[in-house]
Amino acid sequence: MQSKELHIEINEVSGTQNAVIINFSGELCSLCISKISDTFDKIDFNFTSNKFVIAEMSEVTMISSAALGEFMGGRKRLIEKGGELVFAGLNIELRTKLNLMGANKVFRFYNDQRSAISAYKWEYEKHPEHLHLSFPPYLKLVPPIRSLVSRVARQKGYGNRDAFRIETIIDEVCNNAIEHGLEGQNNKIDMKVTIDPGKIEFVVTSISDPEKMYALRALLKPEEDATKWRTDDKRGRGLDLIKMLSNELSVECNEAGTSVHVKKLREE
Amino acid sequence: MDIVFPYKIAMSFPGDMEYIPAIRKFVSEVLQVSNFSSKFAYRSEIIVDEISNNAVNYGCKEECACIDLECLIHEDRIEFTIKDQGGTKENLDKLHNAVNCTTENEVSKKALGIEIVRMLSESMDIKIDKENLTSIHIVRKREDSST
Repeated sequence: MQSKELHIEINEVSGTQNAVIINFSGELCSLCISKISDTFDKIDFNFTSNKFVIAEMSEVTMISSAALGEFMGGRKRLIEKGGELVFAGLNIELRTKLNLMGANKVFRFYNDQRSAISAYKWEYEKHPEHLHLSFPPYLKLVPPIRSLVSRVARQKGYGNRDAFRIETIIDEVCNNAIEHGLEGQNNKIDMKVTIDPGKIEFVVTSISDPEKMYALRALLKPEEDATKWRTDDKRGRGLDLIKMLSNELSVECNEAGTSVHVKKLREE
Repeated sequence: MDIVFPYKIAMSFPGDMEYIPAIRKFVSEVLQVSNFSSKFAYRSEIIVDEISNNAVNYGCKEECACIDLECLIHEDRIEFTIKDQGGTKENLDKLHNAVNCTTENEVSKKALGIEIVRMLSESMDIKIDKENLTSIHIVRKREDSST
């Protein structure tokens, strides 16, 4: 049986600094390992900086163990220069076979090119991602919201300690927004989360209750003398806790609403 | 303040698979704090998973694409509206066929996700505008709505 001829095409990814896509199509049999090796030579020769190479495999029908070995060699060369080689678009059959061979312990697999480019932008270009949530001011909704942000942080590679601290900050900020905001389902609380590999930022905006503004301003007023705090003082501890757990806290408070901005750097 | 029905939660998240487990869990937890049963919450979680996966896989062309999910929670039902930027014409046709097919024989292997959503929901409608922006509206009723 004649094997499908292998075609290889190298393209730079527009809008990125160092990402390159190698489009493979056909069968990656043991006879074509020299072609794969030449491709990595070309990348070595043409691109001097560290390259994030995406092997686009959606048109590939077979990968031999020899070809896989060649990819491992190519990845090693890229890693020595601070780059990476990942696979995108593998069909289920090939992906299962590569998993059985243990290749998933060496290579990262992405469903498609877009996911691989997003991962590159996140990891290498530190592109931030945004999550936006709008919800009515009900205290019962705070636990699911804090868990949502914590889960996202963990999924994006943040450690358990960071995730727990993020959860605590969200809890405090949302509770304050509900406590000092106007009641009623139409007075939505708006939360914008911006996350990148180094930090997470939240902006929580609520419509303030005019009757509670005085109490809120009193809480926000910086204490001139720290010794004035009494042990039985039960107000304003949430904000102190946020300050302790975060790297930056600012509150903008006017008649229209209150906006709390918190920045937390990744620690682990 | 206790929850007053109906209320709406709107969210927008990147068109990336990594966000889906957190989003589906969030919807499930919101339903549970809104006094829906854990069975109802779990089945709704499956709906969110399926429609979000479809939106990410077929409705996001650009790297910075995002998905909008709205949950309108009533005492006796939940309504989901998911919007994405729309995929290729081929994918949109497949989606349209999958949503509109009525008999079991018409269901192709690729449209099983939509079939699961149809099974778990009361109604499902799709809207595709001139710019291919796709919006799916799903209604799921509480199974024990008499209580």
